[in-house]
Amino acid sequence: MSDEPLLSVRDLEVVFHTERERIHAVDGVTFEIREGQTVGLVGESGSGKSVTARSILGLVDEPGRIEGGEILYRGEDLTEDNWADHRGDIAIVFQDPTNSLNPVYTIGNQIEEALRIHQDLRGRAATDRAIELLEDVGIPDAPRRVDEYPHQLSGGMAQRAVIAMALACDPDLLVCDEPTTALDVTIQAQILDLLAELQAEQDLAILFITHDMGVIEDATDWVNVIYAGEVVERAPTEALFDHPAHPYTRALLESIPGRTDPDERLPTIEGEVPTPTGPATDCRFAPRCPEAFEDCRSVAPEHVSLDGDRSAACLLHDPARSDGGERQ
Amino acid sequence: MSRLRYIAKRVALSVPVVWLGTTMTWAIIYLGPIDPATRLLSEGQTQNPAAYEAARTQLGLDQPPLQHYFDWMGSLLTFDLGQTWLLYQGSDVNALILDFLPRTLWLGFWSVLIAVCIGVPLGFYAGMRSNTASDYVASMGGIVWRAMPNFWLGIMLLAVLGSSQAIFGFDWQSLWIELDALTGSPDLSRLHTVEGFLAATKKVLPAAIVLGSASMGNEMRIGRTAVLEVRNEDYVDLARAKGVSERALVWKHIFRNALIPLVPIITSEAFLLIGGSVLVETVFSINGIGLLFFNAATQGDLPLVGTLMYVFILLIVGVNLLQDVLYTVIDPRVGLEGA
Ligand code: SF4
Repeated sequence: MSDEPLLSVRDLEVVFHTERERIHAVDGVTFEIREGQTVGLVGESGSGKSVTARSILGLVDEPGRIEGGEILYRGEDLTEDNWADHRGDIAIVFQDPTNSLNPVYTIGNQIEEALRIHQDLRGRAATDRAIELLEDVGIPDAPRRVDEYPHQLSGGMAQRAVIAMALACDPDLLVCDEPTTALDVTIQAQILDLLAELQAEQDLAILFITHDMGVIEDATDWVNVIYAGEVVERAPTEALFDHPAHPYTRALLESIPGRTDPDERLPTIEGEVPTPTGPATDCRFAPRCPEAFEDCRSVAPEHVSLDGDRSAACLLHDPARSDGGERQ
Repeated sequence: MSRLRYIAKRVALSVPVVWLGTTMTWAIIYLGPIDPATRLLSEGQTQNPAAYEAARTQLGLDQPPLQHYFDWMGSLLTFDLGQTWLLYQGSDVNALILDFLPRTLWLGFWSVLIAVCIGVPLGFYAGMRSNTASDYVASMGGIVWRAMPNFWLGIMLLAVLGSSQAIFGFDWQSLWIELDALTGSPDLSRLHTVEGFLAATKKVLPAAIVLGSASMGNEMRIGRTAVLEVRNEDYVDLARAKGVSERALVWKHIFRNALIPLVPIITSEAFLLIGGSVLVETVFSINGIGLLFFNAATQGDLPLVGTLMYVFILLIVGVNLLQDVLYTVIDPRVGLEGA
């Protein structure tokens, strides 16, 4: 593994311009992914995780715009409009497989399109390769399926086809934006297994974007917890689950079924993720934080390094402010 | 295979539609409050019982209603349409329709084509550049164009073309192809020659633009919305992420999907054209079937009205079938779900 990360997102700022205000959907997100690594980006809906995913591929829709930071792919900054040069190096899988495939073209047509662009395969060779890919992602009866239209596939099969299409680009990094959220629980597990398998076989790096801590625990090596457009905690997955450092991470963990007393109602985090419209002047989690204290409302927390490579942006860990981590 | 089955099913379904439409037409005309026989007679003859009886016999009204209904339906189905009573008295109705209908179809063809060829690209263009200055210009233009009433637009267009020499510095009537008159029926007998085709086209062009004006505005509006919607679909983003060129993205992935909601708009406007042609044919004095229908109705030639209704019903059902065919060509989902 080389020293340089495969992808490094630094201080990413994505702003949506509405008539009345500027919404900082992503406000200084920083994280990196090494080759072959599986990294999670976890947070509630509205935390900016999907916008981050789309930014990596240059797919932020109007009226959103990347207004700051860098997205370095093998050291090259994609935000300087370099996406076209790296198409196929990074592939993406979206949440809803039924919307991910163009309804008026066959599965084969859409996979072959990618094969033509990235592997210069045409005609019979492309079709054969498309069938192979469909078989690789576990679609039975692939020679017939290749000529079918997206609506003829079930959700789980369609998501497999989307993954096959992503693989046709021969990517180094696969961004999975809630890839299993729209699917049944059993299918979810199958898709996660498939992704793990593909990763092991092809030395693929995967960025998992999800709200589901269960998926993170099963699938990732490293986690970034995102809240209101900022990464608030980063840690190796195991360490994060053993000792969550940020109160928000703790709250997310408590909302996983089976981790607390099974007879008790699952605790949920009260309130909603705020949408930042200006620079942070306080801790954005303070209104919902069970451990908030006075400084939290007047100081924006910075990342504090903790043991290992991990860090958290919480004043509790700032020795100057909170008497060595003592909670109030 | 299932697409063929779908089309076959639609054809079968149109049979009861034609039957219902013609039956209602018959009921309105022959069971309605106006006695068709009286309407066919001139002022003096209405007082003449012998002439009245003769008219009734010729119309078959002396038969029991059910018998008359079956006779009438039978003659429609076999296109044995008889002679006219009042309008163009005594001429063969088949010949009359064959004479008048092509002009209307010619006019309708160009008005649909012009509307589609201008409205759809303009709408797609505006949708691709949403919320830019060119989008606003195109959208505003579409709304204004859409809002102009046909009769007014027709008269204004004629006025402008009539004095085109003074306004634009060229004479429309003699431009490219010499026309005998600004308005009037197109000569469809020489369509197979290039010159005849161009002359007939140029003749109906102003009328076609007027007739298609509302459709053009609608198609533009719907086209814009459709493109906007499709542009934001995940599959377009995914295709872009895949490395598909901008051009292929637009032509392959966006346009074909954006056409799907336009199909019913275009075909439903073909219906409006049938109605709208009455007005436009009057303004541009084109002897089309709309004008014929209008004259037959106002002058009380009810048997002719009934026959023309039948022709209109067939036209509308035909357009509907065309719509189904278009659907199956553009959208693979049609005919596979719920068929
Ligand atoms: S900084 Fe304060 S409010 Fe924010 S998470 Fe830490 S303890 Fe809670």
